[in-house]
Amino acid sequence: MIVESEAEIVDAVRMARERRTALEIVGGGTRRAFGRPVECDAILDVSRLSGIVSYEPEELILTVKPGTPLVEIETLLSANGQRLGFDPQDWSALLGSTGTSTIGGAVSCSADGPAAIRHGRARDHLLGIRAVNGFGEAFKAGGRVVKNVTGFDLPKLVCGAMGTLCVLTELTFRVFPKPPETRCFALRNLVPSRGPGLLKRVWSSPLDATGLAYLPPEAAEHFAQIADCGYGAALVRIEGTAASLAEKSAMLRDIVPDGEPLDTGADPFRRIGSGEIFAGSLLDITRMVLEPAKPSPYDGYEPPLKEEDWSLWIADWAGQLIWRANTAGSSSGRAPVFDSGTTLVRASVETRMRSHVFPPEEPARAALTCAVKAAFDPLGLFNPGRMYKDV
Amino acid sequence: MELAASDPSILARRAEIVARLKALVPDGVVSDRAGLKAFDGDALTAYRQSPLVCVLPRTKEEVAAVLKFAGEDGVPIVPRGAGTSLSGGALPRGDAILIGLSRMNRIIHVDIENRAVTVEPGVTNLAITRAVEGRGFYYAPDPSSQIACTIGGNIAENSGGLHCLKYGLTTNNLLSATLVTITGETVRLDNRGGYDLLGVIAGSEGLLGVVVEATVRILPLPPVTRTLMAAFASVPDAGRCVAEIIAGGIVPAAMEFMDRRCIEAVEAYCAPGYPKGAEGVLIIDADGIKSEVDEAIARIAGIARGCGAQVREATDEAERARIWTGRKSAFPAMGRLAPDMLCMDGTIPRRMLPRVLARMAEMADEYGLGFCNVFHAGDGNLHPLIIFDVMKEGELERAEAFGADILRLCVEVGGVLTGEHGVGVEKRDLMPEMFSEADLAQQQRLKCAFDAAGLLNPGKVFPTLSACVEQGHMHVKSGRVPYPNLPRF
Repeated sequence: MIVESEAEIVDAVRMARERRTALEIVGGGTRRAFGRPVECDAILDVSRLSGIVSYEPEELILTVKPGTPLVEIETLLSANGQRLGFDPQDWSALLGSTGTSTIGGAVSCSADGPAAIRHGRARDHLLGIRAVNGFGEAFKAGGRVVKNVTGFDLPKLVCGAMGTLCVLTELTFRVFPKPPETRCFALRNLVPSRGPGLLKRVWSSPLDATGLAYLPPEAAEHFAQIADCGYGAALVRIEGTAASLAEKSAMLRDIVPDGEPLDTGADPFRRIGSGEIFAGSLLDITRMVLEPAKPSPYDGYEPPLKEEDWSLWIADWAGQLIWRANTAGSSSGRAPVFDSGTTLVRASVETRMRSHVFPPEEPARAALTCAVKAAFDPLGLFNPGRMYKDV
Repeated sequence: MELAASDPSILARRAEIVARLKALVPDGVVSDRAGLKAFDGDALTAYRQSPLVCVLPRTKEEVAAVLKFAGEDGVPIVPRGAGTSLSGGALPRGDAILIGLSRMNRIIHVDIENRAVTVEPGVTNLAITRAVEGRGFYYAPDPSSQIACTIGGNIAENSGGLHCLKYGLTTNNLLSATLVTITGETVRLDNRGGYDLLGVIAGSEGLLGVVVEATVRILPLPPVTRTLMAAFASVPDAGRCVAEIIAGGIVPAAMEFMDRRCIEAVEAYCAPGYPKGAEGVLIIDADGIKSEVDEAIARIAGIARGCGAQVREATDEAERARIWTGRKSAFPAMGRLAPDMLCMDGTIPRRMLPRVLARMAEMADEYGLGFCNVFHAGDGNLHPLIIFDVMKEGELERAEAFGADILRLCVEVGGVLTGEHGVGVEKRDLMPEMFSEADLAQQQRLKCAFDAAGLLNPGKVFPTLSACVEQGHMHVKSGRVPYPNLPRF
């Protein structure tokens, strides 16, 4: 079913209710291989629900339809010296998909990029939504202003919900001024036990870095400008005017006394957030967000270079987000190396069918998850089973 | 508004409920009339009601036991932090247990490396900053009542403050929370996969559960902060200046507006040294590294002068502190001038500021009432204070009608009913001005997912069919303000 308006979605969902038809909601179709495999009776194609609804650069507010390509939004904002703060990522290369990555998909998967360490994730930027719920009712939530506590914050819920709660028809974001200049530095010869700790020191400084990633040598090989980084490289991206970049560069040298930061020239963070360096790997790819307040699991830990569980990995968000290609973990039934917070971003259909894709939930939380699903979509019409078995 | 009638079947069981609570929290049950008087409301002073009984747990296990009991026995329960809500979020009910979290006030863990502090819900907002400022950090959300309000209440209300334009609301600085549900189960919520339940707990006004532990983000103290005061000969000029600063891609750390009446009140109250004779003043902070602050201050000063302002910069830290103390004292200062006051809390798109400010002045004339404007200009969050005298025939009704018209105007220009004070009981019946039946039904279904029996903080946020039409405001009745000297918004 191809729909072009909210009214058509309402009709489609009401029909699906009557016939008990499960719908796979598809925009650009670039992320269909992410999540548990769904068995749906029909596809609800929302890609034509596309375009800018309103954009007020002077207000820093943007409202778009969910099928709007990320590229279109980026081009429009960039022409006005602005951007989306959560740095939404196109995962096509990683997932081996064709098609056009859309904003609705990026929000539904919470595909937040490296700059989220500075500005926050999709949930921190989505101010308001319009959507159609599983009752076939169009509703709105949130607002179109930056400060609003009127009613429950339902826009937060749809971020990362994998389209299991409602069909989005309109999204309103706050946008940010885009600083005029960007510089990226590599701090080389840092072993994994030191790299993330150093990044956290930079993160705790007033540099306001919009990229803080660590690459072990195997990952650094994928970047021509830092291929020769010794034991590993910490990458720092700073932004601002020429004057503020000069001040920040000097501050960075103070924080990192040993070894001159190398200006990497081209920005390596685009290829970090997209996960594309994992595209050639045949292994399962996971993305793990660490506990917010626990000593870093890197402390005192040095992974052996040829360790079987760690063929390729990178740490983004100042060490708080670990991407890795792993032979262990959910696909083999072996315990993950660290803790919960792990999402299986790419794996075969068979693996995703039989293993967890999203972090398993304790019973009390799982009960809330099911109740929330039922509050939006009691018949399980939308992407059933995409997140958890019954969700 | 009429306070909800108490359920006689619960009142009849009061002795039994008190006894059960005493068994669960032996040293923390307040049930005598005099003791309960201290818990008979929050900072929405127009409404006071003694709770059925008040329980003050010290541990999350005690909270869980109390909620389990309330859930199983069908007794409504109202959570309370410091009781500083301006919207009646913690207003008790005669047939409900009031659960006060103020005794759970330990800072559990300071994790500097991960910039995270884990606290119990009764820790005050300011105590978090106090715990980490010696190491060069602070907690960014800063509601003006921060010396008294608790982090549990901040999460429930998704509190803002002066600096949320740049640093976000509570929800953007909350990393994880442990929630006790009405079934007495304890659930840890963070944002590392699965539904963002943490995101809906923030700002849920105590309708979904009780937070018993939270981890918040701390920020490095900015190395440089500079403060400008821009004095305008007309209020719309100030509004234009705000819109131009935002449109210019500048994100000030704070940008606050006060009009002439408010400036005069504050001068009389604490003499911060605001410019005399101005129709309005903007107080603007820029913070960060030196080069960025210098550039921002130069550009802001240029824009302000272009809008006809006289611009002055605070020369030292003492003057900065004085300027901000004055701003935070606006509410108690106004409270001394007028017998009664209503405070609104709508947010509007910033470019609408000149239009809305002009329209509000017209409305004040139409209603024949005085009012003053003080607000978080940077994010368009208005706090008009309507001045009246409840002893004069019809003034209360006119003030309430004026207030409701202001909120309708906010919604009409694309804004919202409340930017940071919450809906509570105060703006509950105005919700249909902003939300359709379908919108409200979806929110209420979420409530049902957490609390099917509707026992948690009943009567808040959602209009009920039987409720009479209410206005959105904070009512300060005949100077009867709790914490009259507590800085506000």
